[in-house]
Amino acid sequence: MLSAFFGGEMELNAKTLYVFGNEFLDFDSFAQKISKEISKKIKIVQAISPEILLDSKDEELLILDVVKNIRKPAIIEDASRIMTKNIVSLHDFDLGFFLKLMNEMKINKKLKIIGVPSKGNAAKIAKEVEKWL
Amino acid sequence: MTKSITLNHITKIEGHAKLELGVKGRKVTKCELSAVEGSRYFEGLVRGRKYFEAHEITSRICGICSCAHVIAAISAVEDALKIEATEQTKQLRILLTLGERIRSHATHLYFLALPDYLGYGSALEMASKHRGKLQNALNLMRTGNNIIKVIGGRDLHPVSATVGGWLKLPKQEHFKSIRKELEKAKKDALNTCKLFFSLKYPDFESSTECFSLVDNDKYAVLEGKFTSEKSSFDKHQYKQFIEEYHEPRSTANFVVKQDHRYMVGALSRLNNSHNMLIRNAKKMLKSSKLRIPSKNPYHNNIAQAIELVQCIEHAINICETLEIKQENVIKANIKAGNGISAIEVPRGTLWHDYTLNENGVVTNANIITPTAQNLLNIQEDIKTFVSGILNKKKEGITIEIEKLIRSYDPCFSCSAHFLEVKWS
Repeated sequence: MLSAFFGGEMELNAKTLYVFGNEFLDFDSFAQKISKEISKKIKIVQAISPEILLDSKDEELLILDVVKNIRKPAIIEDASRIMTKNIVSLHDFDLGFFLKLMNEMKINKKLKIIGVPSKGNAAKIAKEVEKWL
Repeated sequence: MTKSITLNHITKIEGHAKLELGVKGRKVTKCELSAVEGSRYFEGLVRGRKYFEAHEITSRICGICSCAHVIAAISAVEDALKIEATEQTKQLRILLTLGERIRSHATHLYFLALPDYLGYGSALEMASKHRGKLQNALNLMRTGNNIIKVIGGRDLHPVSATVGGWLKLPKQEHFKSIRKELEKAKKDALNTCKLFFSLKYPDFESSTECFSLVDNDKYAVLEGKFTSEKSSFDKHQYKQFIEEYHEPRSTANFVVKQDHRYMVGALSRLNNSHNMLIRNAKKMLKSSKLRIPSKNPYHNNIAQAIELVQCIEHAINICETLEIKQENVIKANIKAGNGISAIEVPRGTLWHDYTLNENGVVTNANIITPTAQNLLNIQEDIKTFVSGILNKKKEGITIEIEKLIRSYDPCFSCSAHFLEVKWS
């Protein structure tokens, strides 16, 4: 789950959708539930750890994840808006930290995160998400 | 002058650790390191469960070391049920363990230890100026991760390994791709050695005994006797030598060997098995100018860097020689018994001990992690080390303590960044 300031929305055109979250946690599994409702043809990867993003051949990283404190889907394109703490243990090496690290290291990938709320009607939200795929 | 330092919130051992230090004049009067995490009851959770569930449950002890707990639990259960794994299964387990060690060492060295030595608060702060170094780390982490994913079926909490064999075997072509990736990662590992050899480490010697598994003819991973420069014993004898005890202030047990502290981890392994390193790792040890045996815990960083080379070379050897055959999982002959495993994992020797009843249900479980074994040693090292730096300012002392703690790469290592320091 990400914590972020969120803002504008725009169309996306990416090949692979990386879906993050923890299937065992109610508050962090909603992106995975939504991804199962997506009918549009797109490669969906259930990402367990963020290092998988390094394998992406796409110019643009397209990510689906739950974002804290939002009520409807939103797009995040700027990694600096993701709120992270300093890494204090290996357990903090999460998506937010990793995206910021990629940003700081100037790894040249455009970033587009489709942030979704932590609960709601998965099928309905999936339709909204599909508009951006 | 009397002063006290309280380092709260050394997060991890899956929770928190705390250090309380009292100083009077030039003497350290109090030094208490304790885990203050909530108890996690994993040994209790396993009790009453079937023998084939132990590894699935204990894997959840830690996301960083999940492969380690899976293999340790399976090995202990197999020991209890007298199952002898096939050579292919053993090699796959070693490969999984090596993948995890590559990932863990790379993450610890670059993201937790290195910022201290380059004068940064975190890896993020150093990312723009030291991009190449962090790229080495990411390459190594990805290599480790991919090995785990291919061999274990998942990059966290692997699912392919089971009691008696492998539920889903990797395909032969997977070994070609892993090998290719490992060949690329060699350069990153060698760069890591050069970098960590070039750092300046405090001159300090721990009054400790360095223990690790020592195998007859190879750098030990999953088999061997628990050995130091003074003694050696079989895993089944561990209760005669190793004792866990509880301090009321700490939720993690302390561990001693015949009433004395000891150290486990990469440096202990290097001290005890350096003559069994594979070619390039041996070359790296030589070029490090590290004098073996070393009891300077800061040298654990150097040892981890050398182990990166060792793990990569060992994994390449397995990929080159292993020819996958379709093997069925060995069927367990359920009976009552006790089984023990000791394996080498990123932070040192990990012990799992299970007692099963005649229905294959776990009736007793005991797990001793590397961090628990190192806890007393870290505490005593801090006590000695701080005595020599009392002329420094408070902040300087705190940083040096954090560096010392982190050099052990305990599960709470990194958390020292989070320390709240109270002086009075």
